[in-house]
Amino acid sequence: MGNMKIKAKEKDGVVKAKVMAKHDMLTYDQAKKKGKEANFITHVTGKVNDKVVYDVSTSQFLSKNPLFKFTFKGKKGDTLVMTWVDLKGNTKTEEKKIK
Amino acid sequence: MNRRKFLGLGLAVAALAPMTLSALDYRKEKPKAWTAKSVDDAIAALYGDAKPEVSDKITVKTPKVASNGGAVPVTIKSDIEAKSVTLLQDVNPESAVATWTVPEGGVVDYSVKIKMKGSGKVIVVVEGKDGKLYTASNELEVALGGCEG
Repeated sequence: MGNMKIKAKEKDGVVKAKVMAKHDMLTYDQAKKKGKEANFITHVTGKVNDKVVYDVSTSQFLSKNPLFKFTFKGKKGDTLVMTWVDLKGNTKTEEKKIK
Repeated sequence: MNRRKFLGLGLAVAALAPMTLSALDYRKEKPKAWTAKSVDDAIAALYGDAKPEVSDKITVKTPKVASNGGAVPVTIKSDIEAKSVTLLQDVNPESAVATWTVPEGGVVDYSVKIKMKGSGKVIVVVEGKDGKLYTASNELEVALGGCEG
């Protein structure tokens, strides 16, 4: 658990990004069946040069290993920094240069 | 001198931390929305009593038939100058799926994979910068429910 795959590509001033977070995303129902505690990503933020370009609060109903696709205005060479936080307070940050 | 620098650094980090984490955390600010059992309740908890109007400026794309309810791709696009976008559905035990905060100059073009327990509707509510609420929805069939794991 806990790493992220990031792809970000710029074209005509618009960056298309794909982020896959590795996370079990156990809902309360699933967790009960498996005898584990529910845990899922609750917040994802994407930043370039300390400016927020993506921000989402999420619930248990995202798929396992959720995939986020989004676009924003940006340029090549900048670094996209993605961070997620889950219900237990675990957090993970990864960064990737925009191609 | 060194110690002083170190202290200063710590303070700077402490001052920055809350800003970076919780600027617009809908889970903390609107906790009720995430446990609401119906779509209407969730919308009311998030945005108050305002009734969203149906808009053709929002595109909600889903497959007509999803073979795997554990990962249903949903794409949301809109031309509306938006403050926030919320994705809901009406089949899971709770309705809210995700709320995006649209940053200044942001493009509403989001795609995520969600879980659906069965066939139903995905609903998108867009909060415009004009303070109005817009909505669009899409019905789909799910061949295999996704909440059983």
